[in-house]
Amino acid sequence: MRGHGAWLWLPPLAAVAAYAPAQAVVYLTVEQAQKEMFGDEALTSLPLVLSAAQIAAIERDSGVKVASPIVRVWKAPSGYFFADAVIGKHDLIEYAVGLDANGRVRGVEILEYREAYGGEVRNAAWRAQFDGKRHGDALRLGEDIQGISGATLSCQHLTDGIRRLLATYAVAIAPR
Amino acid sequence: MTHRLASFALVFSALVGCAARADESAPPAASAEARAQSLERKIETLSRELDALKNELKQVENQNEALAAQQQQQAVLAQQQSAVQNGGGPWDRLSLWGYGEVNYYHPQHRPEDTQADLARAVFGIGYRFGERTVFNSEYEVEHAVSSADDPGEFEVEQFWVDHRFAGWGAVKAGLFLMPFGLLNEHHEPTNYYGVQRNFVETLIIPSTWREGGVGLHGDTVSGLGWDLGLTTGFDLSKYELNPETPLYGRASELKEASPLQATHQELALANAQHLAQYLALNYHGLPGFLFGAAVFTGNAGRVDRSAHLPDSRLTLWEAHARWRPGRADFAAVFARGTLGDTAATNALNPGASNPLPGSFFGYYLQGAYDVWRRDQTRLAPFLRWERYNVGASYAGLAAGFAAVPAGFPQPYDRVWTYGMNFYLNPHVVFKADYQSFQNNADFTRFDLGVGLNF
Amino acid sequence: MSSHLHSPSVAALLAALWLAACSSGSGTGLSSLSPAARLGERLFEDTALSASGQQSCATCHVARFAFAENPGLDGPDRGSPVPLGGPEMDRPGFRNTPSLKYVSYTPAFHFEADGTPVGGFFRDGRAASLAEQAQQPFLTSFEMANADAAAVLDKLKTRPYFAEFVAFYGAQAGRDPQIALARIGAAIAAYELEDEDFHPFSSKYDYWRRGRAALSAQELEGLRLFNDPTKGNCAACHPSTSADGVTPPLFTDFTYDNLGLPRNAAIAANRDEEAPEYTPANGTDGVHRYYDLGLCGPFRTDLAQRSDLCGAFKVPSLRNAALTAPYFHNGAFATLAEAIRFYVRRDTDPAQWYPAAAHASEIVKFDDLPAAFGGHFVVDLDVAGSDAGYRGNVNTVEVPYDRRLGDSPALNDEEIAKVVAFVCTLTDGYDPDHPEDYAALLPAQCPQSAADSIP
Repeated sequence: MRGHGAWLWLPPLAAVAAYAPAQAVVYLTVEQAQKEMFGDEALTSLPLVLSAAQIAAIERDSGVKVASPIVRVWKAPSGYFFADAVIGKHDLIEYAVGLDANGRVRGVEILEYREAYGGEVRNAAWRAQFDGKRHGDALRLGEDIQGISGATLSCQHLTDGIRRLLATYAVAIAPR
Repeated sequence: MTHRLASFALVFSALVGCAARADESAPPAASAEARAQSLERKIETLSRELDALKNELKQVENQNEALAAQQQQQAVLAQQQSAVQNGGGPWDRLSLWGYGEVNYYHPQHRPEDTQADLARAVFGIGYRFGERTVFNSEYEVEHAVSSADDPGEFEVEQFWVDHRFAGWGAVKAGLFLMPFGLLNEHHEPTNYYGVQRNFVETLIIPSTWREGGVGLHGDTVSGLGWDLGLTTGFDLSKYELNPETPLYGRASELKEASPLQATHQELALANAQHLAQYLALNYHGLPGFLFGAAVFTGNAGRVDRSAHLPDSRLTLWEAHARWRPGRADFAAVFARGTLGDTAATNALNPGASNPLPGSFFGYYLQGAYDVWRRDQTRLAPFLRWERYNVGASYAGLAAGFAAVPAGFPQPYDRVWTYGMNFYLNPHVVFKADYQSFQNNADFTRFDLGVGLNF
Repeated sequence: MSSHLHSPSVAALLAALWLAACSSGSGTGLSSLSPAARLGERLFEDTALSASGQQSCATCHVARFAFAENPGLDGPDRGSPVPLGGPEMDRPGFRNTPSLKYVSYTPAFHFEADGTPVGGFFRDGRAASLAEQAQQPFLTSFEMANADAAAVLDKLKTRPYFAEFVAFYGAQAGRDPQIALARIGAAIAAYELEDEDFHPFSSKYDYWRRGRAALSAQELEGLRLFNDPTKGNCAACHPSTSADGVTPPLFTDFTYDNLGLPRNAAIAANRDEEAPEYTPANGTDGVHRYYDLGLCGPFRTDLAQRSDLCGAFKVPSLRNAALTAPYFHNGAFATLAEAIRFYVRRDTDPAQWYPAAAHASEIVKFDDLPAAFGGHFVVDLDVAGSDAGYRGNVNTVEVPYDRRLGDSPALNDEEIAKVVAFVCTLTDGYDPDHPEDYAALLPAQCPQSAADSIP
């Protein structure tokens, strides 16, 4: 028994943890992420519902299926802010992407993560790889974006998602 | 939208047409000019009004669109939220997955031992209990048929609940995979090069290694993953000191040579008298790089409770690194295990053909490169050099007695593996490799395999 | 293997717990056996239940010979390798009496997943349980020789413990001969299961494993040779380690093997024309009228068609082997050294064991097995390789009998002596407080190594 003592706090802790609230763990709210990327700038919701033609164009351009015609995007004086979700392995990862006025990525944030594995995508250095990317860049895992061993699916799907958002920007927002 | 503009055009052309007819019926000279001017003015006025109308209409349309979009957006969000929070139906909370592999082994020097095998077929079931709690399980059939008369096994490979209690951490409980090496937690055939898993991560780190217990784990924003816990451990009473026949005679049986493969319990009425602790750290703060290490230690009991023997402590540690610059993929793993107090056990069993080792280790270096890619299809040749020794040291052997009887395969080797993975897509891989064994040259073989993962 | 050992060991454990509880509760002086086992003990020793009035289980299963037969010329079998019995105590049996020690750990007969036959009682495993085994000698014509169960019950009714028997097993067991015989078997089995005399685990080797005795250098070396898969390889079938990590080593894996033993003419049944009239005439090869083929007959009948199993006998425990001479199912060898010498020289020097053939330099190996099963294998001592390509039931694959003419034996005489010295440490009765007394327990074939036995 000796030597285990120090470790026996684990099960009770597990039990206590089980009493934690039932809502998803929110790493950042949309508002917090906006503040993170745009400071005190005023953001206005920019309602955008993609037309069939726009969806087809985005899918052609990015190689990623568009699951919903609705784009959650905000306009700031110095750029745009997108909130989006992708499936990690089985469950949704909610994330946000900020673009500057020229359509370059100024930040990627993970808002909510639900899976047991693959939480490594929260890593700041990994997300920083997207900074400065714009529509037209490759944005391919294993090429200009390095994956994280053990979180390949989450990385893959986030990279695909961001590429889709940049295509969305190019097709539906930049021409306005 | 478009049909409305069309109707506008119709109205406009009607007006213009009307004006033109008026023009035809008008008297000539000055009055005609004045009339023309007044008409022009009228047209101008009309066109301005028309523009204003157009703008107004556009605004109304935009407003309508925005309203519709907002409504739709809200509806979808509400739907998504309820799906995640309240689960929608049970089917939405359920996730199913699977993986498996069919392999072919052809020992070069002993073609009579050529085998084809549905090495494993695994089905996974996950269930989400809510925003923070998820259940994962995997069920595996090894070697196709599992019955009393067949070599196959049916195994529960994972069965655990994970509960995220805070942003910084989660707790898991049940039968879960141990966070050791590069493969154990991610052992789907699409995740490794070569038909069979490498020897370091089968002989030194057992494969697939799972224990029953409780763990805490999380990831920091700076890129440090951590995982620690209290689990069941190994049971040396399952170790056979004097098997009737040599435990292995070809590469595909090498697993039997591993002291940890022979004694891991897989939570099958596992002896839980002695619990073990583990700690694993992984740093992935540099994109493309992964560095990690893990240690496991616990009392493994003793080979024979009917004899006067001390318990043995098993400690296993490993370090691993992976670097994926662009199309290349480099990996290295080092693992070493020690068993304490083995001298008395071995002294009690002089001449045993399979004495209890005091230590065992292995390491490998591996490089792969995507030489060809098109969309999701890619071809990745690889090269791996590994060294393992499942009997690196022994204590308490009878004087002048070799740990491995003459004529038995050696428990250590250096192996080159040359091969390639051809990914038809990220979920389907065809593999071929050639493994060259330096000491047990008889084991040298050519392998083919197909693996899938969904 | 372990799962099959599990239930007997659990039973033994329960019995041990029961013993402990009983002895603490009932104080000293009283038997610690259950009522069934106490009855079993009396049945085991009661010669009045035989036709001759002279034979009980204990006549052939003598406690001081580890519950095997007394091999002495002064014993009931007058030095014969098989017991004498029958109404006049003059009918020889067919097989050497096995030891009953540790027999309760035997699993029921079954085939393993790979086809290996395992377990069962008697040397051919034909009895499914110890209780079933214990009934059979009562009715065997050359043993206790009762005509039928009714004859046994008639005798039982005259015994002083009959009232006790009925009180315990019920009135019907005192009326119905079949039930009575079944209960007799059950009572004897209970005795063998419960009484620690049958499984004391008190050998010097057991005390050494528990850290309370020392083995001499010779004994340790003997153990090493015993285990070494390239030397004796004895442990392959007689494991010196615990099968389940809990029960001490039993020195048998309860499997079956065909050793190609020489025919033993000291058994009357093997003497063709002189064989007793009750000898089964199963020999069809024109060489011998009778062959003892173990698993495939003639005493076991359910595997008669399994010609691949002909000549295979169950591996016995080596515990107390020093006390259970002669050795093997036909008692072909009088000493342990001779038995081990046969193992290692059977193939390198067949002339030592088997009769000569028609031609001067030819030897008939495996002469107690019909040619159809790989017996009567003629080798020419002058022709190297004349023993190559053997196809038959006799085990010629495993160490130490994987040798051929001209090879050197796996063990030399000095090494054989060491293995014998080790096997002698498996003799029960070691007293760690008086190690000097142990030598007196050992038969003459064991080295006198009391000087080494200092803890």
